Amino acid sequence: MSSTEHEAFLRDLREKSLRQQEQFIGNIKQRLGRSGQGGEPPAHPFKGAPDFWQEFELKQDERVNLFMDNWKKAGGHAVQLRTMEEAKRFIVQLSKDLSAKQLLIQNQEELHAMELDRSLNGAEVSVWHQQQGLSVAAGADIGVVVVDYAAAYTGSIIVTSSPDKGRSVSLLPTVMIAIIPAERLYTRVGQVLAHFNGSIREQMPAGIHFISGPSRSADIENDLTIGVHGPGIVYALVVTNE
Amino acid sequence: MSGASHEGTSPSTVKERAEIALNNEFLRKAVKFTTERLRTGKKSASEEHGNWDLWRERGRQIRLHTIAHLDYYLSQFIENARANGVHVHFAATSEEAVELTMAIAKEAGARSVVKSKSMVSEELHINAALEKAGIESVETDLGEYIIQLAGEAPSHIIIPAIHKNRYQIAELLSKEAGKELPPDTSILAGFVRRKLREKFLEADIGMTGCNFAIAETGSIVLFENEGNARMVSTVPKTQITLMGMERIIPTWDDLEVMSTLLPRSATGQKLTVYMSGITGPRRPLDGDGPEEMHIIIVDNGRSLQLGDPEFQELLNCIRCGACLNACPVYRQIGGHAYGGTYSGPIGAVLTPSLNKNIMEWDDIANASSLCGACYEACPVKIPLHDMLVYLRNRKVKNGKRMMLESAGMKGFKLVMGNHKLYESAVKIGRAGQVLVKREGKIKAKIGPLKGWNSYRHLSALPKQSFREAWQELEKDLKQEMREMTAETKQRMEQALKTRKGGGNSHEQH
Repeated sequence: MSSTEHEAFLRDLREKSLRQQEQFIGNIKQRLGRSGQGGEPPAHPFKGAPDFWQEFELKQDERVNLFMDNWKKAGGHAVQLRTMEEAKRFIVQLSKDLSAKQLLIQNQEELHAMELDRSLNGAEVSVWHQQQGLSVAAGADIGVVVVDYAAAYTGSIIVTSSPDKGRSVSLLPTVMIAIIPAERLYTRVGQVLAHFNGSIREQMPAGIHFISGPSRSADIENDLTIGVHGPGIVYALVVTNE
Repeated sequence: MSGASHEGTSPSTVKERAEIALNNEFLRKAVKFTTERLRTGKKSASEEHGNWDLWRERGRQIRLHTIAHLDYYLSQFIENARANGVHVHFAATSEEAVELTMAIAKEAGARSVVKSKSMVSEELHINAALEKAGIESVETDLGEYIIQLAGEAPSHIIIPAIHKNRYQIAELLSKEAGKELPPDTSILAGFVRRKLREKFLEADIGMTGCNFAIAETGSIVLFENEGNARMVSTVPKTQITLMGMERIIPTWDDLEVMSTLLPRSATGQKLTVYMSGITGPRRPLDGDGPEEMHIIIVDNGRSLQLGDPEFQELLNCIRCGACLNACPVYRQIGGHAYGGTYSGPIGAVLTPSLNKNIMEWDDIANASSLCGACYEACPVKIPLHDMLVYLRNRKVKNGKRMMLESAGMKGFKLVMGNHKLYESAVKIGRAGQVLVKREGKIKAKIGPLKGWNSYRHLSALPKQSFREAWQELEKDLKQEMREMTAETKQRMEQALKTRKGGGNSHEQH
């Protein structure tokens, strides 16, 4: 299939779609008893969480404790560390303990600064790269990410995609290590969502992923199984930078 | 599904299907156990979170508002999704959605498709269509994968393989592995992980459903625990998302409310392990994610509820399954007895509404004790028990009773009206079936069994009959009934009054 033929195929679909849209939306309007264009945005008085919830706010040490508590309850491992240097030592030790052969890190400043390859003999450290990222991720034992945000109340980390941050790094390896700078840890999910609310569309990442523990399933006789498709072993390293 | 069709074509009634379900001891226990676990999970999660009714009310308001302005929000979503580079398509019927999917798959030269869980795709029977075209279609949710291997349909919206035990699952997976696998959960799950990992990496197309679609940015949101929906939307080059036209919410802020209600109501989790917001295909310099993204917006009977004062609120449903777990009837008979894509109280109302054929599906509305537990459980407060009454009401109004049914009912009445006659009828059946019973099944297509056995095999009459099992069911029902709150009682009385008042008049909720 040549690319021009494919473009023609998509163009045909688009024309058909535009024709059908009129009918589709027209039918909805008619069923709702509305006529005309009516392009004005409707007033939305019940937007978002109830007011009392918007005032709910924890102090940083409470946030850290609640986050770690939730993460552990979901079946993950969580530690509180003071510096990125401590985080580096933790990653090196864990890689040795697990006899990891392949580490994959996001192309992030904080991770480059760790120079993990210098401290790890016998393990290969790859950096996420847009060309062959997926195949490297498929073979990696450990994926390391620095999170964009975290939410304490649900015990969630939030990672977003970009040319430097692959979606696969937090998904394909057997083990995931997430570094959470404490200042990116919020109390509520809503505080994280607010970053995307009303965003300029061009600046939206293609993938926004909330992760709240190891991959799990209870589909076989309600028996909890960990690591069904995503990483079954997940570490959260909360770095307080004191 | 690739197996026998579970919709429409079945000649049986809910009562007959329920008898089969009630005869299956394991299914009954599994359904009871699972629904109990989920129900308890929901209860403690909502109690721990606190102010649950305030959250429910907020959820209801957001859904009511969005559906009331669906023309505006859907248009906004379409415009933004297109600007993100998504190819948006429309399907008025399930056939149109299948046609679109097949056209995209053929154009991509696809040999295999990986799917994450989607109830809309169950409505379409897309797997059968793909397989007919020689394209492999793999369900990747663990439970869905198991029932796909078994050639069955999901029996629970959240735990689709609720009716299979580990020995049955080990047998199915052993066939797939080409070697004997022990009935050990972690070994079985480990096999599926390896097997499906290959499938993800080979697949040309990833198909997803859509829990919510955010109008403001043209994003779709997926909730899941296994990571298979992330796989499906990360690895293949082409992504096709099937979206019910009512899945819209206005903003990311509103997602906080939905993400508070949905996981707690479904499984008792604070949040599912993964919640992914996907905004268009991969950006030009991104290293993964689909290069091409299609969203097919499906009507398939949904717009029929718009403007219907009695049923419009059905469109508020967020597909959590809490009403199934709360329903004493579902807990006894399981999902397959309902015979449609959606089971439980929501299925009892949604199936006839989507299919526009109340007459054919009328008996499903009777598979409810009208106790109101479904309404109590619903995170967006859909008055399902009221709707069940409206449905029965419309059926009676339509007034058509099929000749055969009336004749059958007379015989039924005669036999059922006299317990001695009934008991001897069953005894005659038990004795008579010796002639036709093979391995606990009756396969003969003779006499009254002809129509039924053309499609499947009737289970042999069990040692314990439905009537004998009824005592237990009735005991359970009575326990449930006690839980009816004053509010529900009032609603029910109001509904009765309105009905007595005659006609369609009914207050807007």
